[in-house]
Amino acid sequence: MIAQISGYLKQQFFSHLKFVFFLFLLSFFLLQTHQANSTTKYGGQLVIASTSDPKSFNDIMAKETSTTMVTELIFEGLTKMNAVTFKVEPQLAERWQVSSDGLTWTFFLRRDVVWADGQPFTADDVVFTFNDLIFNPQIPSSARDVFSIDGKTFRVEKVDDYTVQFILPVKFAPFLQGMSQLILPQHKLKQAVAEEKFTFTWGIDTPPQEIIGTGPFKLVEYRPGERLVFERNPRYWKKSSEGEQLPYLDRLIFLIVQNLDTALLKFMDGELDHYSLRGMDYPLLKPLEKKGNFTIYEVGPDFGSNFILFNQNRGINPKTNEPFIPFYKLSWFTNLDFRRAVAHAIDKKKIIDILMNGLGYEQEASMSPSAQFFYNPNVIKYEYDLAKAKVILKQAGFMDRDGDGIMEDANGHPLQFNLYTNSGSTQRVQMAAILRHDLESLGMKVNFHALEFNTLVGKLTSTFDWDAVILGLTGGIEPHFGKNVWHSSGQLHMWHPQQEKPATAWEKRIDDIFTEGVQELDENKRKILYDEFQLIVSQQLPVIYTVLSSTIFAIRNKFENLKPTSYGGAFHDVEEIYLKSEFIKN
Amino acid sequence: MLSYIIKRILVAIPLLLAMSLLTFIFMQMTPGNFFDALKLDPQISPETIARYEKLYHLDKPLLVQYLQWVRNLFKLEFGYSFFYHVPVSSLIAGRLANTFILALASLLFTWLVALPLGIWAAVRRNEWSDRILSLSSFIFLSIPSFFLAMILLYLASQGGLLPLGGIRSANFDELSLFGQWLDLLKHLLIPTVVISLASIAALQRIMRGNMLEVLRQQYILTARAKGLPEERVIYRHALRNAINPLITLFGYELSGLLGGAALTEIICSWPGLGSLMLTAVRAKDIYLVMSSMLMGGILLLIGNLIADILLAWSDPRIRYE
Repeated sequence: MIAQISGYLKQQFFSHLKFVFFLFLLSFFLLQTHQANSTTKYGGQLVIASTSDPKSFNDIMAKETSTTMVTELIFEGLTKMNAVTFKVEPQLAERWQVSSDGLTWTFFLRRDVVWADGQPFTADDVVFTFNDLIFNPQIPSSARDVFSIDGKTFRVEKVDDYTVQFILPVKFAPFLQGMSQLILPQHKLKQAVAEEKFTFTWGIDTPPQEIIGTGPFKLVEYRPGERLVFERNPRYWKKSSEGEQLPYLDRLIFLIVQNLDTALLKFMDGELDHYSLRGMDYPLLKPLEKKGNFTIYEVGPDFGSNFILFNQNRGINPKTNEPFIPFYKLSWFTNLDFRRAVAHAIDKKKIIDILMNGLGYEQEASMSPSAQFFYNPNVIKYEYDLAKAKVILKQAGFMDRDGDGIMEDANGHPLQFNLYTNSGSTQRVQMAAILRHDLESLGMKVNFHALEFNTLVGKLTSTFDWDAVILGLTGGIEPHFGKNVWHSSGQLHMWHPQQEKPATAWEKRIDDIFTEGVQELDENKRKILYDEFQLIVSQQLPVIYTVLSSTIFAIRNKFENLKPTSYGGAFHDVEEIYLKSEFIKN
Repeated sequence: MLSYIIKRILVAIPLLLAMSLLTFIFMQMTPGNFFDALKLDPQISPETIARYEKLYHLDKPLLVQYLQWVRNLFKLEFGYSFFYHVPVSSLIAGRLANTFILALASLLFTWLVALPLGIWAAVRRNEWSDRILSLSSFIFLSIPSFFLAMILLYLASQGGLLPLGGIRSANFDELSLFGQWLDLLKHLLIPTVVISLASIAALQRIMRGNMLEVLRQQYILTARAKGLPEERVIYRHALRNAINPLITLFGYELSGLLGGAALTEIICSWPGLGSLMLTAVRAKDIYLVMSSMLMGGILLLIGNLIADILLAWSDPRIRYE
């Protein structure tokens, strides 16, 4: 046939050059059709590293990231938070409705869902997960705290096999988001609950095939300290928007690599497809992007905050009948001018440059900018200005009266206090060193101690004998989940915990905002409330924010349909991710 | 001899109990407990923490907690890990084997290399080869193991022949028996070399010293004067006497190897006890710590016992009743 074509061509054009060009086109066309035949989105694997082993496969008992990154692949909730738009989307429930008083929520479950062992997924599983597991008084679970309001739990009832009703004691705005709680199989766990053995069920010594979920992948192998291997769940219910059966990938492999430098070597060597960068890795990896065939994504600030706070506990120690901290110190720490001066003495840029290699964000508001909707950018900002800080302190009556280089208050007490942080966090220890330097050049005497984590927790939550602390808390996109920190009765209201009634007018206002905000179902009205809360915090400075680290990761250029975000990470919705065709072996 | 061994084992039991009690006391003296870490999570209530504490009997008096643990010990139960909510024994078993493989490999490697080197250096005292050996000993003694591990892993990533940490390849189960051995050896090489280099340096110096000491003895002079060949003088007469003090050392090394490799294990992703222990101690996962200490203690005692038996075998002057 080619001979015929060439003969025809010679007659037509008498040009050797054009003939070659045509052949080239032809071959290109043939190649194209060949590729189109073999183009499949299915197959291949994703290899990532985890710094620690999962603590359990029991999602109710253990809730930290090394565990949830595993359970979230195997199990699913009724709803799911879209990691890009932050809208709650249907998952195991295909739709829901809420009564006009906002208290009764009815979920209609998908009828095409089966557990990985072939058993049908029904309303019984949902009722079991809530009533027999989460609300079971014998089982310690942090999920219970999310689903109780002032100690009262939700009522969960089965209407029919595919309809479940939740009856709430009061209106609860983050309810739909909370419904992303993973649902566990009744038929697998019923017996363990009946025998009161659930707390020790599905630990990491369980054979992988016992762990049955509805999610896109199932666990097939776990070797402690080595690796976790997941395989596609062929019974998975979800189809892509083009109607293709999900998931696309055959396997997911999590290698346990404790040391980040080793993980970096493995990534550069091609063994890993993903690596989470520390600030110091950036200058090393950035020039290698092309050669190593990967892309570095900088997806914005992290959610974990870092701040300094001062003890404003006005309470009396019941054991000694003495105040928790001396009165003269309390008068400094409760003085807003003192805290404002400290806020002006924090050199955020220097912290970012030194600790994060320039890759970080100055934090001003209580919500991370990555929380998007609920983040208030219009809060009061305190620029680094030592001269201004000095003026503020002087106006408030703090000055060096005896010429020893250390300021005294109006009663002659030298401005000297202890600053603590936990020794386990190198970053906070370094941050404390920078902060201390600036506070001392203001004329304060700061005694810095890095304490063991448990010691610090003890001081913050039970003995209350501390002056100043540098600490961090994890955050998220829902402001209400920080209630324990911001409500004056909370035990994490660390500057003055567990108050019977709010000590100040602004704390009262924040209490009201949190009580009102959780009952308000209109998103935009909630936004106004939580914006005000962030403004008040920036005015009153109960905690003085420092910096947020940046979420940066490198991903090998092998994957399609990636939508990396700070909230969801690199591979959220992993069932929709597929390999570029040249990486799929046939 | 047999009665001696039985006596030693019986004496070991109260010793181990005392050790576990001390561990327990020291763990309790540090402030707080395992579940304190949950207190800084805004989404976890004090009631939930109290439930966790109740589950693990942390609400009971300390003495009761300890005695309960000891009682279960006699049923060969080592308690539950707070972190993992599973029996400690199921956590330790696999990792103990891994650590043991690594320990054994580095022990063999260390002794097989260090002893000949020490003899070599002693015989060629102050020659250039001895000087090079002593210089490199000082170098390897002063390089921290984690740094050495990093360098070797980096070299491996450049060379492409050796795996970058871990214990098994992904396709381990599909390999032939021979292939599996080869795979394991490949993964063993870097951590073994890292752990061994510093001990080789030290042991080699000790061996050299002992050997020199013995070579100065009069019976060596006698042997040489008799006209015995030099090889026979060194390997038959000198070596047996020089090696005696090292056998005691061997007993101690056996116990040190289990705990001493934590950093190397972490960097080389070797799934051993060391890294598990380190996190357990820091998080105050008490029963995991106590059980691992118990293992370490047992190994120390076994090591000592083996050393004593070896000593009796190598030195005819030592006899046990």
